[in-house]
Amino acid sequence: MFSYIMRRLGYMVITMVIISVLGYIIIELPPGSYVDAEISRLRQQGGNLAPEQIAALYQRYGLDKPEYVRFGLWVSGFVRGDFGQSFQYSMPVSDLIFGRLGLTLLFSFLSLILSWGIAIFVGVYSATHRYTVSDYVITILQFVGLAVPNFLLALVLMVFAQNVFKMQVGGLFSAEYVNAPFSVGKFLDLLNHMWIPIIVIGASNTAWLSRVMRANLLDVLNMQYVQTARAKGLKESVVTWKHAFRNAVHPLIMVLGGSLPGIISGETIVAIVLNLPTTGPLYFNALLQKDMYLAGAFLIFLALALLIGNLGADILLAWVDPRIRYE
Amino acid sequence: MSETIGSPTTTTTTSAEIILRIKDLHTYFYTDIGISKALNGVTFDIPSRKVLGIVGESGCGKSVTALSCMRLLPRSAKIPKGEITFFRHKKNGNGSAAPVEEVDLLKLDTMSQEIRNIRGAELAMIFQEPMSSLNPSYTIGDQIGEAIILHQNVDKAEAENRTIKILDQVGMSNPKAMVKRFPHELSGGMRQRAMIAMGLSCNPSVLFADEPTTALDVTTEAQILDLMRDLQAQLGMTIVFITHNLGVVAQMCDSVAVMYLGRIVEQASIEPIFYNPKHPYTKALLNSIPHAGSREHKRLLPIRGVVPDPYSSIKGCPFHPRCNSFMPGKCDVNVPATVTVDNGHTVRCFLYSDEVEQQ
Repeated sequence: MFSYIMRRLGYMVITMVIISVLGYIIIELPPGSYVDAEISRLRQQGGNLAPEQIAALYQRYGLDKPEYVRFGLWVSGFVRGDFGQSFQYSMPVSDLIFGRLGLTLLFSFLSLILSWGIAIFVGVYSATHRYTVSDYVITILQFVGLAVPNFLLALVLMVFAQNVFKMQVGGLFSAEYVNAPFSVGKFLDLLNHMWIPIIVIGASNTAWLSRVMRANLLDVLNMQYVQTARAKGLKESVVTWKHAFRNAVHPLIMVLGGSLPGIISGETIVAIVLNLPTTGPLYFNALLQKDMYLAGAFLIFLALALLIGNLGADILLAWVDPRIRYE
Repeated sequence: MSETIGSPTTTTTTSAEIILRIKDLHTYFYTDIGISKALNGVTFDIPSRKVLGIVGESGCGKSVTALSCMRLLPRSAKIPKGEITFFRHKKNGNGSAAPVEEVDLLKLDTMSQEIRNIRGAELAMIFQEPMSSLNPSYTIGDQIGEAIILHQNVDKAEAENRTIKILDQVGMSNPKAMVKRFPHELSGGMRQRAMIAMGLSCNPSVLFADEPTTALDVTTEAQILDLMRDLQAQLGMTIVFITHNLGVVAQMCDSVAVMYLGRIVEQASIEPIFYNPKHPYTKALLNSIPHAGSREHKRLLPIRGVVPDPYSSIKGCPFHPRCNSFMPGKCDVNVPATVTVDNGHTVRCFLYSDEVEQQ
């Protein structure tokens, strides 16, 4: 197992190198750079830029150097925690990302825990109560949850919260708390603002995961060894949770590994609709504005999260299922 | 807890002693395409401390009979009619005869504590597919020990000791290492030994063996059959051996019940079944297998047609469409009643009696 993990870590390094090259190429693909856009904006405003000024701008952002040198500089900065400078914000990329990462992680983890907790219990319940009224009700809710787009649910909940609860919606804090120092009031205000995004982000996830859980458990409940467990005289709850659930949870673990990047990027569209200061909208804007170092850093983070998530999922799977013992 | 597996039980048994009495058992499956009548009035007694074989083609209701006794039928199955009486011998330490308690298994809720106390402890079952009968996520020791902890009120360490002892008894080499193994690390024969060990772990009165050797190769099959025969003699339990293999029946069983389409058509002890079969279906079954030592090269006689699907209902004797002794106007009108033709030899056929089954 140890050598397996070591080998996987080695592969991860190689994959990261490839991803950083590819990522860099993709970011550089669109013609023009942020500086070009900036220059044309200045020209539109009537300013006539001297060639020296333009050269200075290029130099300042390192755009005068050949591509491979810029790539080398960019990548070598990672090790030092330097992800370059954002053109748009004139701030270090790391400050921008880490400033928003805390809240993003809070949202992502809360909705992850909520949706997983609900999904597992709902999935197990509807599988063990197949073709009962409650199973049908759950199934309908699941399909509604899957079919309704997240942003629409966000809009509906916003209108609902505003009209029924007379709440201020959007953002994370009410106006009076935005710049206030942290206090109990501010915390409660935060909680008050958080439930909509968490429900919205969690809804489709919960619906999807509980569907997967139900389908898998139904398969496993038909297995002979489940019958064997019953034949021993075990309680139905032990049969379900000890003997069936453990063999039905594999796909969920794989999904969990794949959802790690989502923790960092957050639900971008939902965040935009609800005006949340998370990393999703930041990434989105960086791509739109050709803010290449910011977008590149995101890309690298997301790729790394995906790799770590998958490794974690594989290790977890090996722990759950002894048949997957790597050598 | 002085009773251990393998302690010689010194009770005097008579052949008349019965452990399970199944009476007019009907089991139906309610599916989307209709009602499948798997059992249509199964009546027979399971003698105590003997090996009873249940034979018949696929789909005749052999497994459903066993599952009905265990109350392990799937949710789509209902038992509209019937009685299964379990003569429960209270186990007491000194092995003396204790009063027998009669339990009507069909009166118990399938999820109740009472039936769970009987399952595994009194009535155990081993299944056809040793490959899929064990949970891939737990060790052999865990899975056998689980039943011991559940029914015998011992701690984990003691359960493991007993597990090792049972594994040794079922002929597992190096049982101490085996308890730490996972099912996928074992061969089919080893897994079936583990299943047998699990079935025997709580010293049950009855062991239902549902085609336990069908999935195994012939050599392993012979070993497993020997083992079961030995353990049966040693522990004095009842085995209900479900199979479609008449050769296995001859080797294993004291008596045989032949099933066709959810009914017992003939029941007798082993010799009359093989040397003096009565029911045309039993005869046809015997004609369809090769006989060792026969000199001439005779053709095997397959039974005409196939088992009709259980969704359809056949008027009269269910075997009449395939029967060589079909008597028009008789067999296709009424269902023959079960009659005794010889001492302990019962048959359901108009060739032997005109008695009609009361509906």
